[in-house]
Amino acid sequence: MALLTLKDVSKIYKQGDIEVHALKGVNLDVAEGEFTTVFGPSGCGKTTMLNLIGALDRPTSGHLLFNDKDIGTMSKNEQALHRRRNIGFIFQSHNLIPVLTAFENVEFALQIAGDGKGSNSDRVQNILEQVGLGTMMHRRPNALSGGQMQRIAVARALVKEPKLVLADEPTANLDSETSKEVLEIMVRMNRELKTTFVFSTHDPMVMEYAKRVVEIRDGEIARDERKG
Amino acid sequence: MMYLIRIALRNLLRRRSRTLVIGSILAIAVVFFLLIESVMVAMMDLSFKNAIDFETPHIEVSRQGLIDEEAKGNVVPLEETFSISNSTEETIAGLADYQAATPVLDFSADFIAGRYTFPVLVRSIEPDSFSQVFYHDQYVQTGAFLETGQSGVVIGERLAQFFDLDVGDYFTLRFRDRQGSFNTMEGEVRGILATPHPDMNLRTVFVAREAAASRLGLANDAANRWMVRLTQRGSAPEQSQELQASLSNSQLVARSYREAAEFLVAVEAWGYIETYFILALFLLVGAVGIVAAVILSALERVSEIGIMKAMGLRENEIVRVFVIEAGGIGLVGGLIGCILGALSVGLFVIYGFDMSFFLDIDAMSAFPLQGRLYGAWNTSSFFFILAVVVAIALLSSLLPAYTAAKKDPIEAIRRR
Ligand SMILES: Nc1ncnc2c1ncn2[C@@H]1O[C@H](COP(=O)(O)OP(=O)(O)OP(=O)(O)O)[C@@H](O)[C@H]1O
Ligand SMILES: [Mg+2]
Repeated sequence: MALLTLKDVSKIYKQGDIEVHALKGVNLDVAEGEFTTVFGPSGCGKTTMLNLIGALDRPTSGHLLFNDKDIGTMSKNEQALHRRRNIGFIFQSHNLIPVLTAFENVEFALQIAGDGKGSNSDRVQNILEQVGLGTMMHRRPNALSGGQMQRIAVARALVKEPKLVLADEPTANLDSETSKEVLEIMVRMNRELKTTFVFSTHDPMVMEYAKRVVEIRDGEIARDERKG
Repeated sequence: MMYLIRIALRNLLRRRSRTLVIGSILAIAVVFFLLIESVMVAMMDLSFKNAIDFETPHIEVSRQGLIDEEAKGNVVPLEETFSISNSTEETIAGLADYQAATPVLDFSADFIAGRYTFPVLVRSIEPDSFSQVFYHDQYVQTGAFLETGQSGVVIGERLAQFFDLDVGDYFTLRFRDRQGSFNTMEGEVRGILATPHPDMNLRTVFVAREAAASRLGLANDAANRWMVRLTQRGSAPEQSQELQASLSNSQLVARSYREAAEFLVAVEAWGYIETYFILALFLLVGAVGIVAAVILSALERVSEIGIMKAMGLRENEIVRVFVIEAGGIGLVGGLIGCILGALSVGLFVIYGFDMSFFLDIDAMSAFPLQGRLYGAWNTSSFFFILAVVVAIALLSSLLPAYTAAKKDPIEAIRRR
């Protein structure tokens, strides 16, 4: 059974009189445990698609089912609760809350997911060690490099063990060496924790990590293939 | 929740100077309020004390007609005198907090000395009991206070200055008697008073009652007021009402000092209204500052709001972050204000300030105040104003905080 199903999903942005058709009737199934790469040039609609999947936005038409529940028609509060329990986000940049240390950023996410009831600092420490930041846990984001910040973002998205992690061009601001490290961490987490990943990029180099590539052109799925 | 508080407090620290600037607006409001309140409480307290000690004691018994005429600003009518009955005197002496009582016969007269004339209130008294109710005898500057049956007058220092009179100098009082014909009293100045009640020192002249009553064509025991001192101020209004109830079938009415000193009560009320009005203005400025602070920090932290939404925080949780921040500014400002306020009130309590300049202001001379005024401590004011400032900060942050939290997460995330 699919964890995630997109049925004829369209998104139209209205800016005054201009309508931008960012997604045009997209159909997609993502199974549990899959590592899916959404690939396409700038402006093709990747961010739009990930935001819809993440219940940060609503489709203009069509349905998004998460475990057979339509997340597009939930109330704002229901969407927030759905996100805190089921979804981890990694964005391109500015992922972290500047006034909190690496450790606190991760612990905060865990606390919210657990509805504020306590935290498990071993879990936080453990995940930070897994992304290779065990020694820098008590630094604030502004004392960390871009790659380190993205690794904390990965840790923060994964610490609550969500069903789905959405990563929108998480490596776009990193050099290729650092990109590889962050990608390898995500691939490893996918393998070890069986977390479902949907990951977007416009960088062909990243493709070598992908098991399934969904290519988007102009708001439509142009290609959907699985590797080995 | 712990993390919401932590984020709010860290941001307050990060924007230290903004926190302090807006906090200090609130601090100024707090200091202003504490100081003015202390001055006012001290001033009113001393005014009432001086009024009670030198003018109208805790309870005054008189005929309604006298009160009515006085309210109209007319000269004291001699028709409204009375002789008190034994039973009334016993009722008065039976009051729970009774200390002393004395009859007074007031009348209007012109004080004449040399070529000058000045309108005064002549207070005819029985010196012995008078001095158990009032404190004039303790403020004799030169000469001596009146003795029973003695002729002559005791006047205040300001009147003495006006006429350039000394003890032993001669005076004439001219007045209308009960029949309406002019009559006079002549004699020596026995003593000159310097009370802390400026108006007493100018417009009131004291004579012995026996001497006055016959010249006025009144019975020897005629009085137009019975002045009652209690052992404490607080119970005066209540005991005055009790007394009033038992006087109901005589023609007499009892008033507490608060009713008699209407002027002071009105001044007190206006003083509070003015203080709260100015406080409200300060707080309004503070509230605008808080609104500005919340809007600014929301603008600076658009992407942070986006992240918090993506993490699954609900709008009202994001609102809390900003409201806690505003409350923190309020608390910082309130506490700074309370500390500075405590220092300035403390100085005022210890050193006081000189009110002699008040006497040069004509309108203030009716105020029973003179000398140095010392501040009053009022601990509850500190808690009150702290609570008000924090509440204002919390309330004024609500709207901008909601606006910030309502921000579309997509927009918040895109704008980075
Ligand atoms: N809020 C919006 N209002 C109007 N138009 C928008 C909005 N968000 C996106 N668009 C437009 O929708 C289209 C798809 O945008 P989207 O951000 O999804 O693309 P993307 O593939 O993520 O591009 P990039 O690689 O630049 O991030 C673009 O043409 C974009 O200009
Ligand atoms: Mg994008």
